[in-house]
Amino acid sequence: MKLQVTTACQGHGRCYSLAPQYLESDDEGFVTIRGGDPIEIPDDQRELAVELVGTCPESAIVVIDD
Amino acid sequence: MEASTISQVKGEEVTGCPVMHQDFSTTRDLGDYWALANDLRESCPHFYNKYAGGGYWVFTRHEAVKDIYKTPEIFSSESITPWEPNPIYRFVPTQVDAPDHIKYRRILNPWFSPKAMEAAAPMMRELCRSFIEPLVAKGRGDFIEDFALLYPTAAFLSVIGVPVSYTEQFAEWVDMFFGGFGGDPEGAENMGKALSEMRVFWSEQLADRRINPQPEGDLFTYLLNSTVDDEPLDEEVLLDMCTVLTLAGLDTTRAELGYMFHHLALNPEDRQKLIDDPELAPLAVEETLRYYTIIFGDGRKVTRDIEFHGVQLKKGDMVYALVSGANRDPRHWERADEFVIDRKKNNHFGFASGPHRCLGMHLARREMAIAVQEWLSVIPNFELDSDATLKERGGGAMMALETLPLRWEVGS
Repeated sequence: MKLQVTTACQGHGRCYSLAPQYLESDDEGFVTIRGGDPIEIPDDQRELAVELVGTCPESAIVVIDD
Repeated sequence: MEASTISQVKGEEVTGCPVMHQDFSTTRDLGDYWALANDLRESCPHFYNKYAGGGYWVFTRHEAVKDIYKTPEIFSSESITPWEPNPIYRFVPTQVDAPDHIKYRRILNPWFSPKAMEAAAPMMRELCRSFIEPLVAKGRGDFIEDFALLYPTAAFLSVIGVPVSYTEQFAEWVDMFFGGFGGDPEGAENMGKALSEMRVFWSEQLADRRINPQPEGDLFTYLLNSTVDDEPLDEEVLLDMCTVLTLAGLDTTRAELGYMFHHLALNPEDRQKLIDDPELAPLAVEETLRYYTIIFGDGRKVTRDIEFHGVQLKKGDMVYALVSGANRDPRHWERADEFVIDRKKNNHFGFASGPHRCLGMHLARREMAIAVQEWLSVIPNFELDSDATLKERGGGAMMALETLPLRWEVGS
């Protein structure tokens, strides 16, 4: 499963507070994925992935199933 | 709620759209505005709200509110108050559309970014403690007047580089401004007065920094050194920016803190969860922003004729995205009408969304989370100190509790 951030991000910052291990803020507050975009995340992190999708007011986070 | 289905609005054919005559500027009993938003949303996805001399469309459900925010090219921010399509103020960058909008945001975003607010957090915490400390031994007080009006103001002033000794002056200006923002004619004079006094203050600050630039921690010096299209910002734009930062940054946090502490006064089990786990505060803040949103609705001006969610909109029409309706829409939310303190899938519109999402959101969240943590660490148990029904300022401006009398055990 891969996690991807689209250009819809407006920098609300809810995702990187929920998953700082994968996501961080740039200097303006927009999200960047640590270690490249998209990033592979383990299957046992599915619940977290669903929370991330559901926490973004811009629908900017996408989970891609392998 | 008065609503009648008519087929003629503004001389145009409208099929089956209910018309209402609602004044959202009036003071009502606490909770009435959210109840009204629920009623409106469940009775119809859209209304036409008519008043003397004008009218505007109200979209009540999550899906439409989301689409309004997502398409700023159709829904312009030229006016954000649908009862006043041509306001006397111009907020920059709030009322600036693409392509210029992002140029201003690029300047301001870093100053209010999560990283910058993290760096400011220890100072905010210290200020917060300084406002709570004198209250502990009093055993009672008005949370709004004694704390919520003051602490966010002081925190904001220190973040932009203005001495916190101006806190009370700013609290007064902001109160005067919002007395007129919702369209109440009696408030208009004070609103104008507050605006002009604030502009005098900002222009004095700017004049001072032109002579005495402050390299660190001073927003005025930073703005004076900033450029748009390689040009420095002109005085008018600088004043408009400073004004909107103040208006958006102070009153809003006061209002959300009021609702949050009202909730905590009435819900000891949620209070206990926060005492047991202070790290829960950020999630509790987000849920406060969803459930007790202070944006009753958000206005936009239509840029071209378009059919939108079953309504034929014309260029120049005003729309009102009912954020308070969307934030509790059961079509979108699980347990929509419950305050779920640790809700994680919380993509609420309490800070709006789209390119105009609240610039100060990272500041506001920090301030609120710190307030909850610090208050509960010294005043863990408190309750309402009044049997009277509390009043809230109308949703025409940002909704806000006018007073919140609390009492607590001294030495608890």
